[in-house]
Amino acid sequence: MATIDKEAVELFKQKAAPVSIKVVEVKDMAEAVAYALDTCEKKDFCELVYCGTEQTSAGIVKAEKKMFCAPNLTDKEYSALAALGAERGFDMLRSGMRGHLEGIDVAFTTADGAVAETATTIIECMSEDVRLATMIAEVHVVALKKSQIKKTSYDVEPYLQKLMEKGVMYTAFISGASRTADIERVLTLGVHGPLELHIALMEG
Amino acid sequence: MQHAESMKEYRERLQGSLDNSFLRETLDKFAVAYKANRLTIFADINEKELIQEIAAAKDEGLTKIEELYTQFKDEAEKRGVHVHRAATAAEANEIVCRIAKENNCKLVIKSKSMTAEEIHINHALEEHGCKVVETDLGEWIIQLRHEGPTHMVMPAIHLSRYQVADTFTDETKLKQDSDIGKLVKVARRELRSRFANADMGISGANFAVADTGTIGICTNEGNGRLTTTLPRVHVALAGIDKLVPNIHDALRIIRVLPRNATAQAITTYVSWMTGSAENTLTPDKRKIMHVIFLDNGRTALAQDEICKSALRCVRCGACANVCPVYRLVGGHQMGYVYIGAIGLILTYFFHGRENARNLVQNCINCEACKDVCAAGIDLPGIIQEIRARLVEEEGAPAQSTLLAKVLENRKIFHSLLRFGKFAQRPVTGGTPYIRHLPQIFMKGQGFRALPAIASKAFRDRWKDIEKSLPANGKIRVGLFAGCAQDFVYPEQLEAAVKVLAAGGCSVEFPMGQSCCGLPVRMMGEREAAEKTALANIKAFDPARLDYIVTLCASCASHIKNHYVELLADAPGMRTEAQQFASRIRDFSSFVYDVLGMKEDAFRNSGEKIGYHASCHLCRGLNVTEQPRKLIRAAGDYKESKEEDVCCGFGGTYSMKFPEISGQILQHKLDNLEASGAATIVADCPGCVMQIRGGEEKRGNKVKVEHIAELLARQLK
Repeated sequence: MATIDKEAVELFKQKAAPVSIKVVEVKDMAEAVAYALDTCEKKDFCELVYCGTEQTSAGIVKAEKKMFCAPNLTDKEYSALAALGAERGFDMLRSGMRGHLEGIDVAFTTADGAVAETATTIIECMSEDVRLATMIAEVHVVALKKSQIKKTSYDVEPYLQKLMEKGVMYTAFISGASRTADIERVLTLGVHGPLELHIALMEG
Repeated sequence: MQHAESMKEYRERLQGSLDNSFLRETLDKFAVAYKANRLTIFADINEKELIQEIAAAKDEGLTKIEELYTQFKDEAEKRGVHVHRAATAAEANEIVCRIAKENNCKLVIKSKSMTAEEIHINHALEEHGCKVVETDLGEWIIQLRHEGPTHMVMPAIHLSRYQVADTFTDETKLKQDSDIGKLVKVARRELRSRFANADMGISGANFAVADTGTIGICTNEGNGRLTTTLPRVHVALAGIDKLVPNIHDALRIIRVLPRNATAQAITTYVSWMTGSAENTLTPDKRKIMHVIFLDNGRTALAQDEICKSALRCVRCGACANVCPVYRLVGGHQMGYVYIGAIGLILTYFFHGRENARNLVQNCINCEACKDVCAAGIDLPGIIQEIRARLVEEEGAPAQSTLLAKVLENRKIFHSLLRFGKFAQRPVTGGTPYIRHLPQIFMKGQGFRALPAIASKAFRDRWKDIEKSLPANGKIRVGLFAGCAQDFVYPEQLEAAVKVLAAGGCSVEFPMGQSCCGLPVRMMGEREAAEKTALANIKAFDPARLDYIVTLCASCASHIKNHYVELLADAPGMRTEAQQFASRIRDFSSFVYDVLGMKEDAFRNSGEKIGYHASCHLCRGLNVTEQPRKLIRAAGDYKESKEEDVCCGFGGTYSMKFPEISGQILQHKLDNLEASGAATIVADCPGCVMQIRGGEEKRGNKVKVEHIAELLARQLK
């Protein structure tokens, strides 16, 4: 049974707030899934960003159907999720993200680790689909177990070492929504990637 | 290539920036906000320790750069990456163009990389027939405007939303609103299609881990992830100094870089790329990945004992964030490609004398950059070294050589100063200021009243002063006067002697002492700086004294921090230089800490007293509390905003760049005025000269004096 560092969990929540990460506590994977589907349900239709320069610049083009992707779930997790999503009328997918660069509504992923002091989630992104989904979705919901949270970045060093020394890997530290302050230093979210990052924080 | 810019042309450019009110306002707000935010973000971290660790690790890494490169190459190649090394910018460009040709790349997208800017890769690729699109929002904006960056982290900080809206209107051929949220969405829409269609992505690397062959990039926008994921080909450009031994070193850089750059705990994304990851566009479903390490003078710089620490730089841009000159003129005037204090340095090493000559003069030596540097680089020290090399390489300007020659001989220098008091008579009009100098001598100096030379120098008053002092004090103190006080403000020294005597010191004033040598060091006159240092050490015979006290923070900081290194090669002088440096104390900390003169030593007058924290006291010597405590003992301390920001004096700087010196002074005066203080004190005669001259010019009736004068007046 994995142990939970309660102090680290509190620190994670505390550090998440100022960088606009929404942390929601849930019981288990089923609740995390339900939260992600609800989020998709409630959100506005995706603003499409890739359909030819002239058209997109002229105005906002919205999708007509919600799209929900979950590229790094196990087969079992995904099939349960896909059924629930279909019931709600979402287009569900777990691969082929390159075909949807104009945007998708929600990406749901599971985390591989986390660092409390910077509210960072770590996701192994060897798969192109995981990298793309977590960038092109308007909302990214990450399911994270409390026991995965370490206090400082040095505490995840052994994990990273093991991960990278064995072979090819693309690892992402994600600590918020895509942000910029390049125009007049005004903080603006969603410049290239997600407009929102939610963490579904699971017991265990 | 452009013609070499003259100093006159450079100053005209500076004036252009000073006249840009949007730029001024933006940079002002940024300077104030940055400092406050930085304090907060470092609150739960031991900043000094982290910086020392970074410095030590980087220094260690530089000694084994070849090893690290070989190890990285082996590990990365095992993981399907092609690793190259380019000796020059041209070579790096050739490699990139060759990769583009081999892979039939037409559209190239880039995430932010200073190394790519260093080699002007866009230009090379465009000549080769590629279209290059920047994807970092700021970089894209300046690319569309055909401008260079004005900050290493915020390249478009000089532009307003209206200018950006106009630029986007031109680019999209559609009228764009100036709302920032909407402008950001325009970039999201426009650039997504470029990401999707690009053949090659070029990124930089914030670190390259030798142990695992990993490169890492930190971005907030996430454009780095798309740039390194969507195109078939990924080329990463990194300076060879970005190699670190292991993941721990990389994690350490991630701890300091975003904190120091933008006062964030971490950037939104940190991407660790270990080998060529999946890419569904290629036949073998793996990204075609190349890493190019650029040398461009770095391994030579790593051998340069004095300047090599410049290679510790992690490119956070903090040296620009706190620079009072950058705050006024922005990045186009404070760098060629690299910006800020490190920009002045790297321009010399990477882009040559021609581009660096005027730039390196534009440092006021306030040490604010050194104080915040993520890697503990002595930036002002290296800038002065480069000035010295420029003098050696191409000779000194006439006024610099003259000053050097004069300062090398104390007797000539002091005769000139004495002569000055007769020569100036017609221009002082009987006041303590120079009032009627012909325009040719006063060019640009109209922002402050300049003091006249005193009728009798301190050294000429000493015999009389000495007689009135009690003999057999418990502490033997040598008084180091510095030129400004000896010849312009002898009353400050008299006040100090009074306080020191009251504190139980016997005071000596060796007549052979001269200028500390800082002005000539600032001008790059190394030999003259050495000679003045030698003369002072000989004059004091430091071993006889308990302390050497000076009222000039700049003299103190120069002597303490540079005499030993200046005289490292002087035969037999090392010990004496060390003795001299270790005995030097600034007036305030000496009075408070050594003499123990506190509240009960002074009468509190209740007068409202403002304080200017002189650069070379608060940063050069880390003395911050003592003067404030002394002020509280003698009066009603009125704190003002940005007390520790430079007053704009900077010695010879204020003569060379009067327009900037004057503007920095206006900030200082505004802040002091807002505090409501009726008296302003400082620990440095140069600052007193600058602030008093500015107040006089404004017609303000505040008293500006050295802290010694306040304390002497309030002695019990």
